[in-house]
Amino acid sequence: MGTTGPSSINEKKNVQYGMQFPIFTIKDMVNLQLALINSLEIDQLFSVVGGSMGGMQALEWASSYPERVYSSIPIASSYRHSAQNIAFHEVGRQAIMNDPHWQKGDYYNKEKKPRHGLAVARMIAHITYLSEGAFQEKFGRDMQSKVLSWGFDADFQVESYLRHQGISFVDRFDANSYLYITRAMDYFDLSHSYDGDLSAAFRKTKCKLLIVAFTSDWLFPSSESLAIVKALNRTAADVSFVEIDSDKGHDSFLLEIDDFYKILHGFISGAARKKGI
Amino acid sequence: MTNKLNEKLISSLITKNAKVLDIGCGNGDLLYHLEETKNINGQGIEISSKGVQESVSKGLSVIQGDADIDLKSFPDNAFDVVILSHTLQATHKPKEVLIEMLRIGKICIISIPNFGYWRYRMQILFFGIMPVARTLSDPWYSTENIHLCSIKDFLKLCEELNISINKAFRNSNYSIKKITRPSSYINNLLSIEGIFVLSNNINSVN
Repeated sequence: MGTTGPSSINEKKNVQYGMQFPIFTIKDMVNLQLALINSLEIDQLFSVVGGSMGGMQALEWASSYPERVYSSIPIASSYRHSAQNIAFHEVGRQAIMNDPHWQKGDYYNKEKKPRHGLAVARMIAHITYLSEGAFQEKFGRDMQSKVLSWGFDADFQVESYLRHQGISFVDRFDANSYLYITRAMDYFDLSHSYDGDLSAAFRKTKCKLLIVAFTSDWLFPSSESLAIVKALNRTAADVSFVEIDSDKGHDSFLLEIDDFYKILHGFISGAARKKGI
Repeated sequence: MTNKLNEKLISSLITKNAKVLDIGCGNGDLLYHLEETKNINGQGIEISSKGVQESVSKGLSVIQGDADIDLKSFPDNAFDVVILSHTLQATHKPKEVLIEMLRIGKICIISIPNFGYWRYRMQILFFGIMPVARTLSDPWYSTENIHLCSIKDFLKLCEELNISINKAFRNSNYSIKKITRPSSYINNLLSIEGIFVLSNNINSVN
């Protein structure tokens, strides 16, 4: 995942970094993107759009490099990871680090990988991406077959779905990357450098912002977005905020929801008109 | 809710390039008109998500929020003009909203449906029913207008809060006219709507 990560080769030692990889932050990710646009000689990005962790990056751009972005759209995101979010991440990381095949992160050249740990981490995370209503609507108490196993097989469709989510994730994601990326989100707090005063983080922010939240998102609830809106109001920034009605939980930002698309389309076209493009 | 007459008048009261907040901006028609004609730097607050969506889709900056709660986060004198068009009567705490508006705006333009209008008085007097008309279109059980007042009531509140009325207009149902003596009996009787430009006495002294 990404550019360079724990699974990349450390050229000094000619072996994967593993846990030797340095801890990185959301700001490091944004700094990397900045280096990219610098090398491409782009003065200003028209819009930085991101959901969840991408929303954190969109906020970081608006705060740290306000003159380099014309508009920013953080979606289903927050200015800092809440205690509950850190808690869920911690359970996921524990699942990985307690997998006997994790081997303190040194598993790249071993036959067995920490597949189970990463799959469990993904299963937990996946629950946080949906909502109670979404689960109920999608699965209810539907069964895999008509008879119960009277044991611990995946009798319910929701169980089999989660197991599938876990297993298919393992094939496309590195367990160590999961540790590092979840940590980057945990460490994110835009107000931290300003003694907890979030509006100070946006003092130089001149770009147009659209903050989007979803009603059933309990991982990044609307109250988080509202805290950002209030902080931006205190600096009299150019901000729009909308809470989209959706029962699909945090995942809503990845789905084609009509109202959501209309808002994005309207905001982006409006910003383009103002910018004269 | 903003009719065309109202829109034209409000537009004439706003200087070019002003920073404007429209509280209860609905679908954003007024802000859009002001951006087009006066090149204002506009911001809206709207309680309904449908209104916010329509406004943002027009390219306006609008926050989904509540006038009763969300004005507090704005700094003093953040806006050149704060507009409250046909919204004060729908707030839970009109007095507090008025005070907040004058804190965050250098001037405020406010329009209120006038409950002292003769037709409304007639409806109560002769038919014994809660008035329903163009500016008060919903019946009593579903209206959002929970704090209706007459022009006379409104002026009394302004006096109590030491708010100065810079300009006043009345909507006679057909046309909007400037009025020199807002407190006259006839204005309260013949206006379906009152429109006022307010400023805070305390602010202007400083």
